Amino acid sequence: MSFLHPWALAGLLAAAVPIILHLVQRREPPTVTFPAVRYLIDATREHQRRLRVQHWLLLAIRTLLIVALVLAAAGPLVARPGVASHAPAALVLVLDNSASSAAIAGGTRRLDELVRAADGALARATPNDALWLVTADGVPRRGDAAALRAMLSRLAPSARRLDLGEAVATADRVLAGESRPGEILLLSDVQASALGPAAPSVPLTVGRPAGAPPANAGIAAVDLGPQPWSVDGGRATVTLAGDSGVQSAVTVRLGDRPPREALATVGSAVTLALPAAAPGWRVVEAALTADELRLDDRRVAAVRVAPVARADCAPGGRYAVAACDVLAGNGRLAPGGDVRLGGFGASASVVLPPEDAAAVGALNRELERRGVSWRFGALAPAGTSDSGALLPPTRVARRLRLESAGSGRSGVLASVGGEPWLVRSGPVLLLGSRLDPAWTDLPVTAGFMRFVDQVLNRLARGELSSLDAAPGDPVALPDVVDEVAHGDRRVSVEGGARYVAADTGVQYLLSGRDTVGVLSVNPDPRESRLEPATDRQLRDLWPTARVLDLERAPAQAFAGAARGDLTAPFLWLALLLGLAEVGLASWWKRA
Amino acid sequence: MLRTDVTQGRTRLDLLDPVDVARLGGLEVTTEGVVEGFLTGLHRSPRRGFSVEFAEHRMYQPGDELRYVDWKMLARSDRLYVKQFEEETNLRAMVVFDASRSMAWSGSPEQTLTKLEYAQRLIAAFSLVLLRQRDATGLIVFDEAVRSITPPRARPGHWRQIVEKLSGLQAGQGTAAEPALRRVVDQLRRRGLVVFVSDLLLERDLAVTALRFLKHRGHQVVVLHVLDPAEVALSGPAEARFEDPETGRSVVIRPRDWASAYDETVRGAIRDWRAACRRAGIGYHRVVTDTPFGQTLRAILSPRGGA
Repeated sequence: MSFLHPWALAGLLAAAVPIILHLVQRREPPTVTFPAVRYLIDATREHQRRLRVQHWLLLAIRTLLIVALVLAAAGPLVARPGVASHAPAALVLVLDNSASSAAIAGGTRRLDELVRAADGALARATPNDALWLVTADGVPRRGDAAALRAMLSRLAPSARRLDLGEAVATADRVLAGESRPGEILLLSDVQASALGPAAPSVPLTVGRPAGAPPANAGIAAVDLGPQPWSVDGGRATVTLAGDSGVQSAVTVRLGDRPPREALATVGSAVTLALPAAAPGWRVVEAALTADELRLDDRRVAAVRVAPVARADCAPGGRYAVAACDVLAGNGRLAPGGDVRLGGFGASASVVLPPEDAAAVGALNRELERRGVSWRFGALAPAGTSDSGALLPPTRVARRLRLESAGSGRSGVLASVGGEPWLVRSGPVLLLGSRLDPAWTDLPVTAGFMRFVDQVLNRLARGELSSLDAAPGDPVALPDVVDEVAHGDRRVSVEGGARYVAADTGVQYLLSGRDTVGVLSVNPDPRESRLEPATDRQLRDLWPTARVLDLERAPAQAFAGAARGDLTAPFLWLALLLGLAEVGLASWWKRA
Repeated sequence: MLRTDVTQGRTRLDLLDPVDVARLGGLEVTTEGVVEGFLTGLHRSPRRGFSVEFAEHRMYQPGDELRYVDWKMLARSDRLYVKQFEEETNLRAMVVFDASRSMAWSGSPEQTLTKLEYAQRLIAAFSLVLLRQRDATGLIVFDEAVRSITPPRARPGHWRQIVEKLSGLQAGQGTAAEPALRRVVDQLRRRGLVVFVSDLLLERDLAVTALRFLKHRGHQVVVLHVLDPAEVALSGPAEARFEDPETGRSVVIRPRDWASAYDETVRGAIRDWRAACRRAGIGYHRVVTDTPFGQTLRAILSPRGGA
């Protein structure tokens, strides 16, 4: 039982008044000499017990009368699941409008079912309730029932993925500072892939659709291979995800060039050769034939189309020369002096430590003269390169420490033991080790060819990165990026900051007037698997949750705080007790 | 307030409030006054059985029957005398007086005599009436034991002996009526009158058995049940512990709550006593201590009184 006005319970002290009066009256009364005591004893013998019962009954009635009045004044509320009224409560409504909610099952969009259920739950709210709505963006939004219902009416499927465990944890944190009894109502299609562990401290009710989800196939990834593509074109590998077993037609289009098509099934990948295109950034769009979930039927990526670098690899040593020869044989490089590996070139340079340590000073002076903000330092401890997109972890036996000549450390592309190992300053890249097995295992690893390709074709030519992300996922932008362009919209960012893309599509990373990278934002491929979590999975991950069909879930909102208002019954009880007291006292007095 | 006999223009103590009477003087003096007033108020001799043999003359008193007027004496002396006769066998009366602790109690000492004080005066008056009729009168005083026995005598001056016994009386502790009543047998060898004066706060069965025994011995038995007004109608503080002065038994009650039940119980006790006495042929009178002595005497000595 809870109370609307708990302070009124202090009035219960008044209930002690009849008892105190009774005890006071039980003090030893004055003694009166009276010879006819035997008559008194005879008179009282048969009535004494009845009188004692009457006195105790009156005492109980008077005490209960006061208690009933005080309780009525305190606004008693009793837990009664199913009743319409409830005590002021705090409810966090988690509505999963992630990409999977756009799926259509039985002719109805999942999101519409979820919104209808959420609307029903909010309809049970009172002005005394604290309400929050958490959607796929993970942001708890507070408002009254009307405001949240308005939000629901405008809610559309989001391309974002909602980790249900994190959403429940977020809701739990929101309720942690709330004095009112809290509860979480999670309305979701409860994808197995969206499930995460959660141990909320408040009651958790999960409402999920009763019907089975539709079979779905979606594009999980579009791999465009090494970039930039030459003007002769390139290959795109499309991977499908989902739970559909049927073949789907995959269409891949490079810019406005004619599309290429192929058939693919879930779990398989298909590679299509795309035709030549003019130099520049080009959008590659992969699409599937339409199914019940359209959000994952399209995926975009961006590719840089440019002539291959004209590189001179001879100063880099024989391993570099061998790699460049292979790349040239595959059309990824062309002989020339635009980029020099192991020395200073006409436009771009990849500078390696000198064989002779005595030459480090002269090299640093040359770097200073060219305005490069990095210098070679002393020998540094051996280590392993940190994992990154550029190259896998690689043992580094010998290296020179790279030291920034400026105030910051911008331009770090790879590191060893947390220290810069590959840095960039303008058109100049500095590598802390020579491309020799005596310095590092890199030249004898499988990734060496790709490393050289990336360094010469992209990094040394100023093209930094091609990033992939899902909406809502934070992305670490390269240091040099100061603006993100998405269509006509431009967002200023701090270099090195984390960026969260809200919408799907290709977004360009700008540094000044140069495009230094691209961010391809597509739905999380896990959203393509619509298979719901099993009851066992739910029990294992959310042992305290109450899982209901979506239709029954709204009725369970505020069930934890559902209270019957007992004020009127207590007032009636007080009235009846008062009447009983008056009636009995009068009757006994007459008797 | 003194009451006045309008026909005589004299104060009649028998009609006064007992407390007022007690304030007028000692037991002896006031009792004589009461009896004088009482006899003055009678229209006929209080007792039947006047002896058929002439005994003596006495001054005519209002209320004497005219048939006993000695007309010859009137002719000779021009004064009214009535003839008094001596029974063949004089009446012998024995008063058995309960002087237990419970008798020495008044519910309102300022307004009523204690039962003991009232009974003292009543017995004195009763004795005087009997002695004036030349009936032998004796007195047995008891509490938890027999404390004194005054054998029945009819000689002049015996009344003063009874009054002395009564005047020096102090209340005892308990009440043991049955031995005292048994002792009557020793004092009344012929048939006589036994007057049992008590508040009857005693073992009724034992007392009635003893009274019935006396009745079977041929005695005329009268019970005077002395009650204080406060014993008839219960009153007192809001709540009190009522304690029996004799036994020490007590009960805590609210008089207001129990007045009705108590009244019913007292009525029941009186009813039981009256019924028990009636069954045994015993006279019973309820005497409340705020009743004027004359009124009580009249009730006792009336032909229906049984005495």
